[in-house]
Amino acid sequence: MRRNQGCNPLEHEMARRQFLTGTMAGAAGMGILGTHAQADQLKRQEKRILQVFLQGGVSQLESWDPKPGTVHGGPFQAIPTSVPGIHISELLPNIAQRMHMLSIVRSINIKINDHEQGRQFMEKGRRVGDFPYVGAVASKYLAAPNSDLPGYIHVSSRGISDVAGGAAFLGAKHGQLKLEGVKPPGNLAAPEGLDAVADAGRDQLRLQFNQRFSQRRSKALTEAYDASYDQAARLMNRKAMFEGKASQQDLERYGAHDFGRYCLLARSLLENGAACVKVTHHGYDSHAENFNFHLEQLGEFDKPFCMLLDDLETRGLLESTLVVIYSEFGRTPKVNVRYGRDHWGTAWSVALGGCGIQPGAVIGSTNDKGTEVADREVDAGHLFHTYLQAVGLDSTAEHDLQGRSIPIGDPAAEPIRELLA
Amino acid sequence: MTVDIADTTTDRTAVDPNLLAPTQSHQVHEFKHEIALTTLRVDPTDRFLAAGAEDLDVQVWDLESGERRTLKGHKSWVRSIDFSADGNRLFTACWGGIVNVWDTSQPEPKPLQTIQAHQGAARFVRVSPDGQQLATCGNDLLVRVWNIADGKLVHEFAGHERHVYGVDFHPDGQHLVSQDLMGGINVWDLQSGEHKKSVDGSVMTGYDNKFAADMGGSRDLQFKPDGSQWASAGITKVTNSFAGVQDPIIVLFDWKTGKEVKQIKSADTNVKGIAWGVRFHPDNFIIAAIADRNGKGELWFRRPEEEKAFHTMKLPSAARGLDLLSDNLRVAVAHADGNARIYRMTARPPAEEAPADKTSTEKAAPAKDT
Repeated sequence: MRRNQGCNPLEHEMARRQFLTGTMAGAAGMGILGTHAQADQLKRQEKRILQVFLQGGVSQLESWDPKPGTVHGGPFQAIPTSVPGIHISELLPNIAQRMHMLSIVRSINIKINDHEQGRQFMEKGRRVGDFPYVGAVASKYLAAPNSDLPGYIHVSSRGISDVAGGAAFLGAKHGQLKLEGVKPPGNLAAPEGLDAVADAGRDQLRLQFNQRFSQRRSKALTEAYDASYDQAARLMNRKAMFEGKASQQDLERYGAHDFGRYCLLARSLLENGAACVKVTHHGYDSHAENFNFHLEQLGEFDKPFCMLLDDLETRGLLESTLVVIYSEFGRTPKVNVRYGRDHWGTAWSVALGGCGIQPGAVIGSTNDKGTEVADREVDAGHLFHTYLQAVGLDSTAEHDLQGRSIPIGDPAAEPIRELLA
Repeated sequence: MTVDIADTTTDRTAVDPNLLAPTQSHQVHEFKHEIALTTLRVDPTDRFLAAGAEDLDVQVWDLESGERRTLKGHKSWVRSIDFSADGNRLFTACWGGIVNVWDTSQPEPKPLQTIQAHQGAARFVRVSPDGQQLATCGNDLLVRVWNIADGKLVHEFAGHERHVYGVDFHPDGQHLVSQDLMGGINVWDLQSGEHKKSVDGSVMTGYDNKFAADMGGSRDLQFKPDGSQWASAGITKVTNSFAGVQDPIIVLFDWKTGKEVKQIKSADTNVKGIAWGVRFHPDNFIIAAIADRNGKGELWFRRPEEEKAFHTMKLPSAARGLDLLSDNLRVAVAHADGNARIYRMTARPPAEEAPADKTSTEKAAPAKDT
């Protein structure tokens, strides 16, 4: 006997489509046909998200909110950018030339100084609870149904533990596929000795078992497995993409180092339908030698990121791609005895641009010493709403979960409206 | 501009063997600043102690009177300092790539000359033995030599592939040695203007696998006055450099062979941090200044031929710079707590000489023989 799911499928369909219409407050008054059209239009727009995660906590004073000559300002200077009046650290000279493509939020206070808690809050927009990462949300609502790629892909040189790939209740299908470097996902190749005919037969048998199994159970229990097999099959066909055969010209522009190659891979993944690509650049947790390490790390980050930004723009993708550069927190204004800066979630910055973002803006400010937010305090909840609304999703709508509804974004927070285009 | 600079090749006063007693070293002066210091230098006539700090200024103390002057003119932290032989000219290099020249005889010195020495940080500045030139190095991967009189570029040496941390003139005045982040050491010939040889200093660098970054470089570089060796201060054995977990090290190199001849490390494996200063003492021992990651510091006294330091002096705060005064009985240390301290390598006399300034102190840091 099939269990009562508590509500009918039509209601589910309505809820999902109404969410996808996002920006239109009057969706309730539209018919089903209208909402389908909106959803399809959104799909056709193929909006997507690029997250660049500066793992460990990039120093806001050495990046987006420099304060040279002040008591905690550090040794680096601020340089003018392509936007008159906006200055950023001298460690980001290439980004400075492209500031008109980005905006900065300088007034983040997440009240968290712990790596894992800070990262979770920045990904989920909620301080506690098992909620999906923004990448998983993008996978669910932005990914094209027949995409060859998983909706949410994370390129990183080493592991960061993400329970269920950050999908939470959205299901494994929307969890991140983690790529440890520029190489195909593990176990992608068929077992040695298994030819195409045998593989097809094996898959047919699996489908028969699934069919019998699902007759007496919720469809939700089997669809995740089916989705995984389908995805794996499609990934096998696109294996070459992950192997990152970069041209010499691209390597010269992006750099032949790991992060340059990750950015090149991110470009391919975004061009080929991934709804959210996250690239992690490690090495910002500088409790010692903060200045030498930021010289090294941001020196490696600045140019390849800009090459990716340029390529997204020239290929017509930037206007439909939200770009976010973020960390789990910032770093203390006070320099410690090891020339380090420690964890600081109290007053720090992120940068973002592209789809749905007003470019060339600075939101909020910190005080003269950089120790506190002086104006327009926001946290990760506000950012989460902002990201989703920037790509046309209604972050105030609800996930529809087999009879229960869960707000997409934290109802206590709201988007940074002045940042939205 | 013409600068009158005396010959610097004269050896400093020989030490009085009846007084020297490094194992009884004790603090005799303390010069206070409000901000953590980054480096220091004492002029060859022992009149001035100049220090950079985590601000834009240079602090200059008169060692006799204790009077402090604050020199303004940099737009970034001062990383390295040197003096002319007569002490009348002060050269300061900052993270902004600027080298400023100051007249210390002025009551309120202003920059006499400002040289844009490097793009990115100018990490080191040293005066040539004849007092006519400056050597600088920096983040633009270059080593440069400047004519002090007119501030013009005399030589530019390219070849380092990573940031250049330290440079010094050989006492013959004809060669330079420079060391970069990766421990790449180059010897440059000032007569031909060419690269003479490469020396392997890779023991002084490390790749932090977890954080995917390199750490290393010479934090101080000093030739032995007879030119037979040079010493480099820095780090080795990187395990978690982002938390400051690596071993401080002094490496001695032989001038003729270009080979490493000695590694000087702490016998205490718990000491983790960076060696920020090194000096050859004429009594044939090495003095090293250490910043422990715990915020404290150490002075090591070590005869190179021996297997461990004959004395280790605990310091109240991490050391960030070291110099040996010309009497060879005192060392000056820049500290992370903002103080420059003078330590005297003698027994404490029954009635220690009267402090020369109001900030002087008789407090001796606890000493421990090793």
